[in-house]
Amino acid sequence: MPTSIQRRTLLRGAGVLLPLPFLNLMEASAKATETVAPPKRFLTLFKPNGVHPPSWNISGGAEHDFRMSPLMKPFQKHRDDVLILDNMGDFGFSSHANSTRRFLSGHHANTKAASMDQLIADRIKGDTPHRSLELTTEGLFPNQIGCSYISYDKNGAPMPRESDPQLIFDRLFRNPLASPAHRQRMSSVLDRVLEDARSLSRTAGNEDRQTLDEYLNVVRESEKRLQNMQQAEPKIDVSSFTRPAHAANLDQQVESMLDMIELALWTDSTRCVTYMLGNSNSRMIFDFLGITEQHHYLSHFFRNFSRTNLESLLKISLWHMEKFDSLLTRLKSRKEGDGTLLDNTVVLYGSGMGHSDNHTVTRIPIILAGGKGLLKTGRYVRYSENQQLGRLHISLLEMFGIDVDTFANSAEPLPGLNGSDFKPYQERAFESWVKVEGNQITVQGRIRMSDNLDEAKVFFVDVQGQPPVRVEVAFRDFHNFNLAYHCGTGITLTGTGSTEGNRHVISKVTELKSIHGRKPGTQNG
Amino acid sequence: MLRRYIGRNAAPNEVRCMFLPNDISIALTISIVIGCPSVVLCADFHHDVKPLLGKYCIKCHSGDDANGDVDFSAIDKSDDVDAAFETWESVVGHLHAGTMPPENEPQPKDDERNKVFVWYEDFVGNIEARPAVFKARRLSVTEYRNTLRSVLGFDLQVAIIEAEQTVAERSMVIKLLPTDPPGRSGFKNDTHQNPLTTVVWDQYSFLIDAALEQLFSPERSTQLNGFTGASRDDEITIEHAERLLRTFLLRARRRTVSEADVEQIVARLQDRNGRKLVAALKFEMKTVLMSPVFIYRGLLTSGQHGARQTVDTFELAERLSYFLWADMPDDQLLSLAADGTLKIPTVYAAQIDRMLMSPKARNLADDFAAQWLTLNEIEHVSDNVPQMVALKSQPIDFMHYLFTEDRPLLELIDSETAFISPHTSRMYGADARQLTKYVKQKGIEVEIVPNQKIKLEHTTERGGILTMPGVLAMNKGPIQRGTWMLERILGQELPEPPADVGQVPPNNGVENLTFRQRFEQHRSNPSCAVCHDRIDPLGFALQDFDNSGQYLRSQNYRAPKRRKRGEESANANSKIDTSGQLPSGETFEDITGLRHILTTSQGEAVIRNIVEKTMSYALCRQLMIHDRPTVNVIVEQMKQDNGTWRDLFHAVANSVPFRETILSAAH
Repeated sequence: MPTSIQRRTLLRGAGVLLPLPFLNLMEASAKATETVAPPKRFLTLFKPNGVHPPSWNISGGAEHDFRMSPLMKPFQKHRDDVLILDNMGDFGFSSHANSTRRFLSGHHANTKAASMDQLIADRIKGDTPHRSLELTTEGLFPNQIGCSYISYDKNGAPMPRESDPQLIFDRLFRNPLASPAHRQRMSSVLDRVLEDARSLSRTAGNEDRQTLDEYLNVVRESEKRLQNMQQAEPKIDVSSFTRPAHAANLDQQVESMLDMIELALWTDSTRCVTYMLGNSNSRMIFDFLGITEQHHYLSHFFRNFSRTNLESLLKISLWHMEKFDSLLTRLKSRKEGDGTLLDNTVVLYGSGMGHSDNHTVTRIPIILAGGKGLLKTGRYVRYSENQQLGRLHISLLEMFGIDVDTFANSAEPLPGLNGSDFKPYQERAFESWVKVEGNQITVQGRIRMSDNLDEAKVFFVDVQGQPPVRVEVAFRDFHNFNLAYHCGTGITLTGTGSTEGNRHVISKVTELKSIHGRKPGTQNG
Repeated sequence: MLRRYIGRNAAPNEVRCMFLPNDISIALTISIVIGCPSVVLCADFHHDVKPLLGKYCIKCHSGDDANGDVDFSAIDKSDDVDAAFETWESVVGHLHAGTMPPENEPQPKDDERNKVFVWYEDFVGNIEARPAVFKARRLSVTEYRNTLRSVLGFDLQVAIIEAEQTVAERSMVIKLLPTDPPGRSGFKNDTHQNPLTTVVWDQYSFLIDAALEQLFSPERSTQLNGFTGASRDDEITIEHAERLLRTFLLRARRRTVSEADVEQIVARLQDRNGRKLVAALKFEMKTVLMSPVFIYRGLLTSGQHGARQTVDTFELAERLSYFLWADMPDDQLLSLAADGTLKIPTVYAAQIDRMLMSPKARNLADDFAAQWLTLNEIEHVSDNVPQMVALKSQPIDFMHYLFTEDRPLLELIDSETAFISPHTSRMYGADARQLTKYVKQKGIEVEIVPNQKIKLEHTTERGGILTMPGVLAMNKGPIQRGTWMLERILGQELPEPPADVGQVPPNNGVENLTFRQRFEQHRSNPSCAVCHDRIDPLGFALQDFDNSGQYLRSQNYRAPKRRKRGEESANANSKIDTSGQLPSGETFEDITGLRHILTTSQGEAVIRNIVEKTMSYALCRQLMIHDRPTVNVIVEQMKQDNGTWRDLFHAVANSVPFRETILSAAH
């Protein structure tokens, strides 16, 4: 639908309008370090509130032969750089807070130990100025404090997070010691205040002189630090970077933060970043997408069902994917060594829960990207059984040279990430066909949602050797048949509609049967 | 006019640590100004008092491990005697009450006691009210935030998009600057011991860069044009810059600026325009905001060095505004200071009243009351922020009401007014019906709801600060509650308990004793009794309230789901013994009785504590010996006239240490 395309284009446009730093300034200095192998980085992007499974899950598909799901559409162009994992998570139901803890800690009961990102940070920090960055978009959600954190220190205490890109910029690049230009400016300030303080000191009483001495000592100490810094040769000149502007909406704020992440990694200011696109249970209102309801309310798409609510939820999930897309595009645009910054960064994108209405911790969205030589990307890996997240964490830790016997409740690494053997998901075979009797159409095949998320009432049933059968669901039938529940599985569906050549459209569903499956309302329903 | 300090009803063995003797380093300067009586008294001390200490006290109270940290052997010279001021007060209290020396030790005879009393009366009686020597002071974090806001005309805030029901520190200043530790006065605005460091310097630099960048950004054009007089999108000219500097310097220095100062800066900007002019102007502004004159308070105070004098009107305006607002003087105060009219009593009084009516006076409750009454401790009561905010905002709103609506001082202890929200209404029985109905919005589980003012008619046990749910919940158990009341309400200070006190034993299975009975057995040792005789009656009077602050005798009482070990069970409430006897001999049955005592016979002790805390906050320093006469006068005045908080603020703002100063000699 044209409006959707327009919106996405606009968002990218907004990103370009932001004061991005000059891209080519550092090429010379980057070249100088080419002889040394670039460092490995770890970056994770957390998506709050799970997903609407019918639009997230890949319908059918094999390791090298799969069709991106409707929500993954912004991702088509990164297909070769991502590794999509399926059947991740092995827990029936989890609260927002618990599922969020599981994202990087493996299990919600793992409360006395560091999350895996912090273990990696300790290992790879080298002599970077910042050991790690813990970033987020929102303030604390105090009703359940665990919803606000994914990173935990070695005692299992939450790491403070920062949401303001301007402050991150200051921390990274505006340190008075960060560049020769900064030092020059600070030096002038020091000269002047020293002069002022001295002239005050000439007329001050004894008491005030003590105060002024305290002040002058600090000024002199600052001068000394500047002099010491001047002896060391700066690696990269950051003085021309522009501080991000005050964000007018969430999209701008997140784009600015992605700028900061990109620069932080590229300038090797830090090698480990975690970024939450929102608190789990997020009450964010995505007004810039034209949505007026809170994200959490919308995420309970079944109990709060309406067409508008579902379409709003999908817009939000698509926006999350667009931010992931934007991040990967940035990392790819930065040349480093013989490859790109993305090649040297392992990116983990995902959520703490799968089904956002049922809070099930199965089929959690997890996508890995980048990490050339560590990950074998361009694949869709669906495991035969539900996998503990802790196994994924063990494998990622191993990638960074950290050997642990166990992590959370897991003792084995997860196979298959680097192309090694794994046991893939096998489903019982079924045939697919279409029969037409008068205006009655019966179709058997795998059902999926329309790729166009603005038409949440349209489904397709894939039939081998034929165009898919389009199913348009009338409002009542959403509840009578619950087509979304069956997405990704084989069904036999009967209804009335129209036929034109080998193209069939069912506009009124009269009967729906699952071939092998369960009924709605059972687990995973 | 001096009142003898120890009255008959002063609490025995009262230890006051609010008062410090003259700072030795400045004693020489001072003696020229006012003369010092201590030398004469010191001779009497050696003659009359010291031998008695040697005879009865020194056995326990000497050396490094002196009992109660009182070491009489170290007191010898005149300065030592002065320095031990609060110790003498305590000694006299113990002798009056007969609590020291302990029962099993030799007791002094009546004429020996009298010698000490006579010496002490002379000692106290010879103190004269005088101001302290002036010392510049770095702005506290709160003051820095407020002052920067007043200079710029906008609050420097963190740039994040807010979601509903989340909390984030919006102030960039509070976020970036290290938290102030409380000073010797117990208040954070006493920054004398909190020096500037390079870490703080770097953060100041970040903040000022961010602030100036914002001031010159399009979104702040209103504020910028307010400074420059430019209209909408005019490019800044040298005339604009000059105009800006006049207002800016006046605010940043908090006093009028000389023409020469402005011209000097303008000269440095000459021959620039456009971006270069703006960059140079920003640099000049940054040096002003990074200069000691902005960062510290009082460096420009004028007057005669080495002399006692009333403070200049700009300093007076600053003292008043940092006291009542924790902020710099506004334009009105600055102009009254500039033409000197602030000194006229009616003008000055009218300003105090105006300032108390201003929304900025909220700071007295947020800052002063919260620190005095340790209300920030309520933040640890619950992980559920809306619930926690509800509990914490009750006493804050209540104190704001007392401060700004001219309520009597002792309504602190007993009041018919309370501030409740749906989160706390359960504790207020039938009185909660006064709340207007609250309807949660769709999709919201818990949210912060503002308090409403109600009149207590049915749940009068909730009147006053002592029985507010949050205050009860932050102090768990009778000992914490008793200690808090003793220190925060009665202004007494307690030494640390010995390290080896151990646990209160559980019931042995033979006798079924209440926690109180078991506790009393446990602490029957006389060295415990010295403090616990004072703590326990106060704390046990609140045993009707459980650890979450619920009233056990209420019909709505809901037992907590999980009870921690050792907590009094609710169904034992028939057995709860809330009666007690104060060391002064007064007895009561329950909190209502105790509250009555605190507002009548012990009212003076409460008032004295209020006066001391308020003065200490207003002066941003620990009180000293020479403040004591001023405190005495104000206490007497408040007691006689059933004084209100407004009266108190006027009295403090007109007191000698507030209006006067001694400027130390120039080197």
